[in-house]
Amino acid sequence: MTALLSLAFKQLVRHPLRTLLTVLGVGSGMFLFTSVETLQRSLASVTEETAADTTLVVYRENRFCPMASQLPEHYAEEIRDIPNVREVIPIKIIVNNCGASLDVITFRGVPGELLTKFAPEIEIIEGGDSEWKKRSDAALLGEQFAKRRGLKPGDKFDAVGITVYVAGIIRSPFPQDNNVAYVHLDFLQQASRTGLGIVTQFNVRVDKSSDLKPVAEAIDSQFKSDQQPTNTRPEKAFFAETAGQLIELIGLTRWLGLGAVLAVIALVANSILLMVRSRVKENAVLRTLGYPAKAIMFLVLSEGGMLGLAGGIVGAGLAWGFLRWQSFTMGSEGHTLAILPEVSTALFAIAGALVLGILASIHPAFVAIRQPIVKSLRS
Amino acid sequence: MTMISCKAITKSYTKGVNTITPLENLSLEVPRGDFLALMGPSGSGKTTLLNLISGIDTPTSGILEIDGEDIARFSRRQLTQWRARKVGYIFQLYHLIPVLTAFENVELPLLITSLSRAERRRKAEAALDIVGLSDRSHHTPGELSGGQEQRVAIARAIVADPALLVADEPTGDLDRESATHILGLLGSLAREHGKTIVMVTHDARAAASADRTLHLEKGKLLTMDPNLTTV
Repeated sequence: MTALLSLAFKQLVRHPLRTLLTVLGVGSGMFLFTSVETLQRSLASVTEETAADTTLVVYRENRFCPMASQLPEHYAEEIRDIPNVREVIPIKIIVNNCGASLDVITFRGVPGELLTKFAPEIEIIEGGDSEWKKRSDAALLGEQFAKRRGLKPGDKFDAVGITVYVAGIIRSPFPQDNNVAYVHLDFLQQASRTGLGIVTQFNVRVDKSSDLKPVAEAIDSQFKSDQQPTNTRPEKAFFAETAGQLIELIGLTRWLGLGAVLAVIALVANSILLMVRSRVKENAVLRTLGYPAKAIMFLVLSEGGMLGLAGGIVGAGLAWGFLRWQSFTMGSEGHTLAILPEVSTALFAIAGALVLGILASIHPAFVAIRQPIVKSLRS
Repeated sequence: MTMISCKAITKSYTKGVNTITPLENLSLEVPRGDFLALMGPSGSGKTTLLNLISGIDTPTSGILEIDGEDIARFSRRQLTQWRARKVGYIFQLYHLIPVLTAFENVELPLLITSLSRAERRRKAEAALDIVGLSDRSHHTPGELSGGQEQRVAIARAIVADPALLVADEPTGDLDRESATHILGLLGSLAREHGKTIVMVTHDARAAASADRTLHLEKGKLLTMDPNLTTV
């Protein structure tokens, strides 16, 4: 089998132009597929609820954009008194664009002393928290946010009419947190002219996943008759609901992924079929030499598989590198979706390309063995 | 000892509404180690007979025993396995795989055996040595002359050490000098290596290098060398 694989490999590398063109075609398809798959998986990671989820988002009822959701900051104290609430953090959010956008700048204003308590998973990888504590205009930038704009500790930058001082760079296991800038709540309230005491939302941590529903109901019930009634949902459900347009758009890309898969199948099948037709005599000679039908089929399937594999590695590798390098952030209604590819996505695409290459070669493999030897030798 | 035994072999096939019978009720026996030439005009059935003897085609009726095995009764799979063990085929147009080197072309029949890489290398090098092309083993067919290509094809035919070699006009595409070299090589394979060789040719001078000559016309044995055994 190794010897036959080696023979198939030689056939590919010694027909460099045909192989290169096919690999580029497959690579293009798999680039698209990997990008779409990355989008889908990124979306799934922020919308599909799991048993480990313990965060609720309290938003102004019937509001969807951070500009419109304005809640009194003192709600935090009342929420904190509700049973099974572990922590509450008032958050002011300012974005440069409330609509769907590929480059969203998001400021999250939080009480400085609560940040590490609320999100203990955050790690400061550059700079330190002394500047953060000392300066009112200090900002902790998510790793991707800083990378995209070439910012480092000590820099100042201006966006959405707000000028901040970069106190540090943070890293979070949650990709969307790596694409925002954390600033002090009071600073952001003043800078955004909404005034002190007004926040966009409260993020509420509960003790366990099963507490999400009762606590959400309790919060909404508490402020039902208030001037600013609330709508409380689990964080992922909140994202899924408020970023509906974004999700619809991403849902549409499934068809692009399917199209890419079909294009890869058609391309490999066409290439292998042309190869089989141009090698009718070669295959007949091999059969004359005693090659069984299964060996001929194995050779054809191997070439298809190798073309798929090479195209998969090229396409998925390029997509992975490109998306990592660009670190796109999709945003809608103030919510960000970091489009970060995982190694597993690239591996899935490569394995998929290999399988597609083999599947696409099944028909050509049968064509290769169907014709009688004598007729093939005369053709 | 008989190597090839054909008893009342008939081959016919349908083309459109017509039934064509390139070979009809043909019988012959060829002893082991013979170098036999098959001659005859186009359409006389000589290539059909060669294809039957080499197991790439099957007779419509009759008994076809090669080295004691009735290959006419073999299934397609058995026939394939039998070809790999027993027959080396030499084509008029060499039919080497253009992207492979001479060595790799010669090694081809061994890739489907259980031989180790080292054993395959040793056998392929030995076959190239027999045809005098050891120094061209890394050349591709495009870098070889017609005569050299045919010698590579002969090396490929003998590398698995088959008892029977069949050659379909092996000198038909070669100049006189190369043809003489190839015929000499085939003769030595019969004499020195004990191969039974059946060669189809149009060329009387090529046929003269064989031990015996059989003439075919319209699918029937027309004349034959008196030394050839017939049934």
